[in-house]
Amino acid sequence: MMAPFFKYGMFGDETSLVVAFLIGIGFGFFLERAGFGSARKLVSQFYLNDLAVFKVMFTAIVTAMLGVTYLGWIGWLDLSLVYLVPTYLMPQIVGGLILGVGFVVGGYCPGTSVAATATGRIDGLVYVVGIFAGMFAFAEMYPLVKGFYLSGAGVAMTIPGTFDVPYGVVVFAVVLMAVGGFYGAGLLEKKFATAAGE
Amino acid sequence: MRNRMSTLTLNQKLALAAVLLGAIALFAAPYPGSRVTLDAKELALAVAKEADHVEAPELAAWIIESRADYRLIDLRSEAEYAQYHIPTAVNVPMGNLTDAGLGRQETLVLYSDGGIHSAQAWMLLKAQGYKGVYMLKGGLEEWKDRVVFPVLADNPTSEQRSGDERLRSVSTFFGGQPRSASAVSAGGGGMPGMAMPTAPALPKVTAPPSPAGGAKPGPAKKKEGC
Repeated sequence: MMAPFFKYGMFGDETSLVVAFLIGIGFGFFLERAGFGSARKLVSQFYLNDLAVFKVMFTAIVTAMLGVTYLGWIGWLDLSLVYLVPTYLMPQIVGGLILGVGFVVGGYCPGTSVAATATGRIDGLVYVVGIFAGMFAFAEMYPLVKGFYLSGAGVAMTIPGTFDVPYGVVVFAVVLMAVGGFYGAGLLEKKFATAAGE
Repeated sequence: MRNRMSTLTLNQKLALAAVLLGAIALFAAPYPGSRVTLDAKELALAVAKEADHVEAPELAAWIIESRADYRLIDLRSEAEYAQYHIPTAVNVPMGNLTDAGLGRQETLVLYSDGGIHSAQAWMLLKAQGYKGVYMLKGGLEEWKDRVVFPVLADNPTSEQRSGDERLRSVSTFFGGQPRSASAVSAGGGGMPGMAMPTAPALPKVTAPPSPAGGAKPGPAKKKEGC
């Protein structure tokens, strides 16, 4: 058996939807378990007194990265067949900033807002309605922004490919960055927890 | 040592494990490189089922719809490419094939003058683990014959007429014009299409260059969020 299963034709579109559904349920479950169904928890990372979001997300990145690296290394996963989102550098930077502003203002990011809605939080539901309104507005505006939206090469860029760094070095650097970040986050939490009087 | 380990919290142990795994990954080479396993049976089946090529009218339709989920590759020399190429095609001469930075996950449509070079390139790429490689059936010659200068019957039936209308509009889109069947047979099979590079309405790249996206055709691109 060799992954990715979908690309090797081990299941078709319908089955892949079922798989996506199951993974989505799992994703939502763990978001909720980490407390990310609550805007208070999410937003406290911006006050630096609870950096759980940063820690959970970076842990997920490191776990997935190591898993993918080792599976590729022992030959169970063909990394070159894994779909990479094409890079449109400027549009994606702008998009990231918009998402960040939405996160600070609304208290959720798209995934967590759905998890919050599922547990019956009204602010989460309002956020989801906002997402759909924004998607609708974007679709209507698309002809106006299309030029910028598709500007840039549109080819998937990777750090090893762009900077000509060996793949393993990037993996190790990201792990060190994560562990250093966790340590720093702990220090920040201690400092600001007292300041916030919690 | 054992005592020190037991004083660590679970999180610290996990962090230590991650650092260790990361350090070992320094030596990892997760991309397969030039090591190849060829499934001859699978390739033969793909050829037999004609799942290895795209027909000229099909490709023309993709270009007109400005689909961006595949990359069209012109395998001929730079000079030939400069003279004429199918709109949206990028030039990757045969010699540069393996270091042109084509993605294994991309859908690639190859063409050359006839069918031989693209078939050879198809084989080479397949052998290197490229999954979505297709040839333009009949190459540029069939492209000229069926898309740019299609042959229309002299006395079309009403059924043929609607098809002809479509052929005509497609051919105009690519800067050509249909030929009548009688002219073709009178010319003893001489190909007016051969005059293509000097034709006045020769299309330079008219369609907007496709943003060479890497996705397979089919389901819409998946978005990722947090």
